[in-house]
Amino acid sequence: MGSAPIDNNIRRLRFEHGEMTQQALAEQVGVTRQTINAIELGKYSPSLEVAFRIAAAFNVPLEQVFQYRKGTAPNE
Amino acid sequence: MSFREKSAWISFVLLLLLTGAFVVSHHFHPHDAQGHDLINPATLFFGILLVFVLLQIVLHVVVAMQSPADARTPKDERERFIELRAARIGFYTLVVGELTSMALFHLHGRAFFLMSSILLAIFIAWLVKLGTEIVLYRRGA
Repeated sequence: MGSAPIDNNIRRLRFEHGEMTQQALAEQVGVTRQTINAIELGKYSPSLEVAFRIAAAFNVPLEQVFQYRKGTAPNE
Repeated sequence: MSFREKSAWISFVLLLLLTGAFVVSHHFHPHDAQGHDLINPATLFFGILLVFVLLQIVLHVVVAMQSPADARTPKDERERFIELRAARIGFYTLVVGELTSMALFHLHGRAFFLMSSILLAIFIAWLVKLGTEIVLYRRGA
């Protein structure tokens, strides 16, 4: 898939939530730890449902977790 | 490394060995001085296939026992995406392999040759699928 044109603040949000581990977040969201790692590193863009679940796990709006990088060509 | 990736590695390595054994059993099977088969190549192959299935089960059980929670977790969307992408590439490989088998059958005209080449095409397509899964897991996507 390559690098997605979507930035995220998952690492910072995990830190702000008592150094929440990737495994703990994965269990709350219902995905594997490897998937959380791939999302955090921008290697995988999650579905809308998983994105909302991540935001809900941190109790913040979606746009505080994910930001779209404007000016990126489709499929880039 | 996740359970699914370990599973892909196990299947890939064992299938590679099975494919090698399949090729070897077809070309270098034991025969007597008159050239008669000492062991039927089909019997030899199905014996190897049985060992392959048993090894698959044993190794998957061993890996699952090392991380039972990981093994019990259903596939998530990324893992399903990886599997679908790998299956698509494997499917194209299979189509090319089957068409090649049919073309070679027209040249050789032996049913046994057709059966062998179709089976080999299935093995290669499955190896490509598993190999693609491993690459995608390694890349993180």
